[in-house]
Amino acid sequence: MCGISGIVSSENIAKDLFSSIRNLEYRGYDSCGLAVYAEGKIQLRKNTGEVDEVNKKERLTQLVGNLGIAHTRWATHGGVTKENSHPHFSANMEFAIVHNGIFSNYQKLKSELSAEGFEFRSMTDSEVFAHLVERAYAQSPNVENAFVSSLLQVEGAFATAMISIHEPDLLFCAKNVSPLMLGLGESRNFIGSDINAFLEFTKTAVTLDDGEYAIVGKQDYRIKDVATKEEKEKNVFTIHWDVESTKKGGYSHYMLKEIFDQPFTTKQALKIEKEEIEKMAKMIQQSQLCYLVGVGTTFYVSMVGQYFFAQFAKRHLPAVSSDEFKDIAILSDKNMMLTVSQSGETYDTKMAINFAKSFQSKTGAIVNVMGSAISMMVDNVIMQGSGAEICVVSTKAAFSQMMILLRIVLEVARLDNHLSEDQYKEYYTALEDFPDVIETALNEQSGFIRNMADTSVKIHNWLFLGCGVYFPVAMESALKMKEVTYLHAEGMATGFLKHGTLAMIDESLYSLFFVPPPDQIDLHERTLIAIEEIKARGGKVYGFIFEGDEKSEQLLDHLIRLPKVHFLVAPFLEMIMAQLFAYYSALKLNRNIDKPRNLAKSVTVA
Amino acid sequence: MKAVILAANQSERLSPFTETRPKPMIRIAGKYILETTIEFLREVGVRDILLVVNYKQDMIQDYFSYGDRFGVNIEYVFQESVEGIGHALKLCQPILGSDSPLLLVYGDVLADGNIFREAMKTHYETGEDLAVVTLPQSSEEFGNVYLDHEMKIRRLIEKPHAGHTANYVFAGVFVLSSEIFQALEKYQNNMEQCYQALIQQNGLQATLWEKGWIDIIYPWHILEANKMMMNLLQEARIHHTVVMKGQVHIEGPVIVEENVTIESGTILKGPCFIGRNSYIGNNALIREYSVLGPDSVIGYGSELKNSVLFGATTIGRLSFVGDSVVGENVKLGSGTTTVNHLTDFSFVEYNVEKRMVNTRLKKIGSFIGDDVTVGARQTLAPGTSVGSGKIIPDYLTLSSQL
Repeated sequence: MCGISGIVSSENIAKDLFSSIRNLEYRGYDSCGLAVYAEGKIQLRKNTGEVDEVNKKERLTQLVGNLGIAHTRWATHGGVTKENSHPHFSANMEFAIVHNGIFSNYQKLKSELSAEGFEFRSMTDSEVFAHLVERAYAQSPNVENAFVSSLLQVEGAFATAMISIHEPDLLFCAKNVSPLMLGLGESRNFIGSDINAFLEFTKTAVTLDDGEYAIVGKQDYRIKDVATKEEKEKNVFTIHWDVESTKKGGYSHYMLKEIFDQPFTTKQALKIEKEEIEKMAKMIQQSQLCYLVGVGTTFYVSMVGQYFFAQFAKRHLPAVSSDEFKDIAILSDKNMMLTVSQSGETYDTKMAINFAKSFQSKTGAIVNVMGSAISMMVDNVIMQGSGAEICVVSTKAAFSQMMILLRIVLEVARLDNHLSEDQYKEYYTALEDFPDVIETALNEQSGFIRNMADTSVKIHNWLFLGCGVYFPVAMESALKMKEVTYLHAEGMATGFLKHGTLAMIDESLYSLFFVPPPDQIDLHERTLIAIEEIKARGGKVYGFIFEGDEKSEQLLDHLIRLPKVHFLVAPFLEMIMAQLFAYYSALKLNRNIDKPRNLAKSVTVA
Repeated sequence: MKAVILAANQSERLSPFTETRPKPMIRIAGKYILETTIEFLREVGVRDILLVVNYKQDMIQDYFSYGDRFGVNIEYVFQESVEGIGHALKLCQPILGSDSPLLLVYGDVLADGNIFREAMKTHYETGEDLAVVTLPQSSEEFGNVYLDHEMKIRRLIEKPHAGHTANYVFAGVFVLSSEIFQALEKYQNNMEQCYQALIQQNGLQATLWEKGWIDIIYPWHILEANKMMMNLLQEARIHHTVVMKGQVHIEGPVIVEENVTIESGTILKGPCFIGRNSYIGNNALIREYSVLGPDSVIGYGSELKNSVLFGATTIGRLSFVGDSVVGENVKLGSGTTTVNHLTDFSFVEYNVEKRMVNTRLKKIGSFIGDDVTVGARQTLAPGTSVGSGKIIPDYLTLSSQL
């Protein structure tokens, strides 16, 4: 899971190349480097650290050349060292490569090459590829042939790019499973792991498919099949995202920018054509069994979907985590899976889709990133249009996915006659009013939430509790807390407490309750019982509540009082407050908010 | 870019300290508020500074002069009648000329980092008029702003309904293009209406300040601001002229300036600050967040905790000064005790302009103005304020006529 990029141009590219990996930094950020060609030589500079840090150490932007590749790394094979960072040279330094993913057969290749006298400078699987190309080129001096014959020798999921002193105007790149795209500019072309690599320079792009490679010059490009070397016709598409939306504006962190972006992205989610929603709803309706599949945050998104499907559409759609999908899904050509992914490149989810496809099951997806692998591989995709999400911790994208799932639920419910026209209209009105409610709440509550975070910053253990649909909301909120504060937060259903967890309660373990509005009588009562269970054992209880909830006000040690809203959107409003809580807690703890340690944005490895 | 710093106001709620000095001339962590502001401005390359002054302006001019000592050029604008921000800004127009945009800074706010850098960064990124916004401890005192998803201010509510909302608020730092002067013309120097107009026309860009920020309104805010700035200290620094006799124990970031003498048995617990030419007697205990201004004298066996002494302050032997602010040229007699909490540890109330204000703090000592003399063995209740120049006799249980 790394970011790769490359530029070929008639002008000096070092600054733009640097800015391209800077924009990819969220994909991985433990080391980075640039390789640039000029005057018969490849200059290579790399080191460990975040992109800006490495630039200070190595002065990356001062390189000069018209052709170059770059890489920002999230280590999988080989520790975080200067040697292991990319790009990698071949033995004779005539080829430089960058690589994202894993060459699964690298050990065999490495011992073979070592036996032939190739010296390895790093502990990575990636370096193998550079040596393979050098060996092939020595046998027959044609860079394209050497590149392709090397591609045929490596196995695994990868994307790779290469420059060579023998072709000073061409970029070579290829992909299998891991993402790679081409960006088309005026008298210069780009490659990148995703569109953020070149969004600053061009909005025209081409996606590479698995088993394809590309030869990119500054004016033209050719995409061919690795196996047959036949040239392929590809769709050129235009990106509608605004570069501005990927800039931080006045925000100090992307996370807060993206939290405040939610009124807008919710509107975008509601603008998705009704036909698209209906199409997905009908697919679900026609399937015998449909799984909701995601991993990490998107698993909790799926869980929210599961509750809503049961509640409104009277259907059981099991939510399954992508990585466990193979182990529990029963598939056939009458079944279906609906996956959720921000990046559309999530390895575990892609594997789950492939697994479902092998049974001829139908596949659907809700995806944010255009041109991503998942958006291409499923039968039916809904593009959520939330704009670039830069912070590694997902907020607005996950939130939009929930809104879209909810729309699908309402559509299925209507088609199945479980909702009257009036109810359907009422629910839609609640959704349409929601963006303004969010904006006001974000503004009016932020000080209270920051205060709550400041007062509880010394607490290292949290329980996040809710029941009904508030349970997956608590789970998702606990994950946010873990990711960004590095503190322990455990999401749990309120009913679970008395079956074990109550043993843990003492003054050092705080609980945060997601309390439903009092008119949700059953859920509300169940939540209150849990609050009392904890209080009775001396635990501190915090909570999100709605206006008019006197009972909770009396019980809670610290509360955030939210305005009355429709019960359909109530859990989501609390979820947004929990995002703010995680953010301000992390701020107080001085965490690396947009790039938490050990994490990366799109998890494209197993 | 030129900066306009507003430093004309007399802040009565900060009595007794503003009886004798303008608010920007209060020492926080050993440095005047205005000095910190000017240093931050110089750091981001703002060298031309207009200081709008009125109340006790001599103090400001004597100290800062034309700014040479601080590496900046200072011009003074005298605001004869203090008629608000719009009026003050209008007075600067002739000097600013066509220079645009300008940096408008409220002289009484303090941040624990370079708040101007954030403002400039966002200004250069967006090219728009902007206001820095922040989350204060309580937003009762400030206008609430409403931000949209593009970080534009869409609404400004000047007098929010206290306790119901806790929005981001103006942090007292603005980047404004010269068009503001047309708006001032139109709205007769009413700055609030100018902000509202800016918001309605283009939406005023906001930039968030997420670090520490404080607007010093009440005397106890001096202690809060002091704590905020003292927390920035990373290391101990002791001037080579300092004399320490016998055993002096130093712990944490402790700053001791030139010509200080510290007698044996004294303990200094950082973060704390001992200003130049001060003298600390034997066995004193100077605890966290204590700041001694220059020329202070601390007598034998006295304890200081979370307190700010402006300077030339003498504290007699065996005294306790905790959670208190003590003005310049004050003498506290031996055995003075500032009681710093109520017996039931409830919130201390404080009398400001004949109105009781809840400090929302459990620990508060006394606020003693300049040139005060407190006689020996006085015990001051939590939240006591002593007006400048007061002389309080000794508390005696026996006298010579017996």
